[in-house]
Amino acid sequence: MTIIQFLQVLHDSEFGTSVRESLYLFPLLEGVHLIGLALSVGLIIATDLRLIGVFLKQVPVRDVLHHLRPYVLVGFALTFITGIVLLWAEGPRIWENPVFPLKLALIVVAGINALWFEFKFGKSAHLWGEQAQFPTGAKVAGWISLVSWTAVVILGRLIPYLEAN
Amino acid sequence: MMTTEALFQELQTHALSQHISHLSAYAGAVAQLFHIVGFLLILTSVLLVNLRLIGLGLRKQPIPYLAKVTNPLILIGLLLVTVSGLFIFLPSATLYYPNPAFWLKFYLLAAVVVLHFTLIGWVTRKEQPRPVIAWATAIVNLTLWFGVAFAGRAIGFLN
Repeated sequence: MTIIQFLQVLHDSEFGTSVRESLYLFPLLEGVHLIGLALSVGLIIATDLRLIGVFLKQVPVRDVLHHLRPYVLVGFALTFITGIVLLWAEGPRIWENPVFPLKLALIVVAGINALWFEFKFGKSAHLWGEQAQFPTGAKVAGWISLVSWTAVVILGRLIPYLEAN
Repeated sequence: MMTTEALFQELQTHALSQHISHLSAYAGAVAQLFHIVGFLLILTSVLLVNLRLIGLGLRKQPIPYLAKVTNPLILIGLLLVTVSGLFIFLPSATLYYPNPAFWLKFYLLAAVVVLHFTLIGWVTRKEQPRPVIAWATAIVNLTLWFGVAFAGRAIGFLN
């Protein structure tokens, strides 16, 4: 079974159909998807800007990482769950959109970057975070995260504008 | 006295609105991009300050510091959403007139913008506002901004 066939099965399912045809649920899902973004991507970008050294300069890096993490994770849970339900309802149309695979690829890039940062710099943030100059790798991770998440948001918003006909 | 509907009609037929509506189809998409980026700037800043007001998030930082560093982002965000919003609204003003989500969004937005420059500004100037006031402010503020987000997102589905 190809991905598109699988998405078609989801699309045709009772659940997929009822979500798609619901007057209130669909806008509600889009709304929660957006709120989840503000929590996850919004707070991650605040963290990235801290790593780059332009925002929250007075706040120790460790505090930014640790104290915002629970909200970032809650935001991701909201965004992913609503995203999966939206894909369930509209899968084939979204999958055929040239922008969507690119959006997914960038989410993977951002995810790998975050894991790499976490293993390499996360645990020792209380040490290097106090120095005037952060390690280059940490700054690069901040830039990669900033650029890839911004692009994910932009590509996501472009989906309805670049429908494959 | 001109009715609101007539005003919207007038706005839509204004030369500037006509000019915008004759731009490329991608201009609309670009306006939407600036709209969402501006709105995320606002929501993220609001979250940082309001989580702190209820003792969560960056809880070791003084409230006035967080309010001070996020305020420019909120103002830039407001500027971005206003300019891009006019781009989206002007060419199709009469389309939005009968849309309940559009009106709900702007009532909530008007309320929260007034609060931002009054109550919220006053509460976030204090190092230690009374917990009742801090909580009430944060709940009202977050509810209104999230309401703006939900109502805004719903506009397109009710057109």
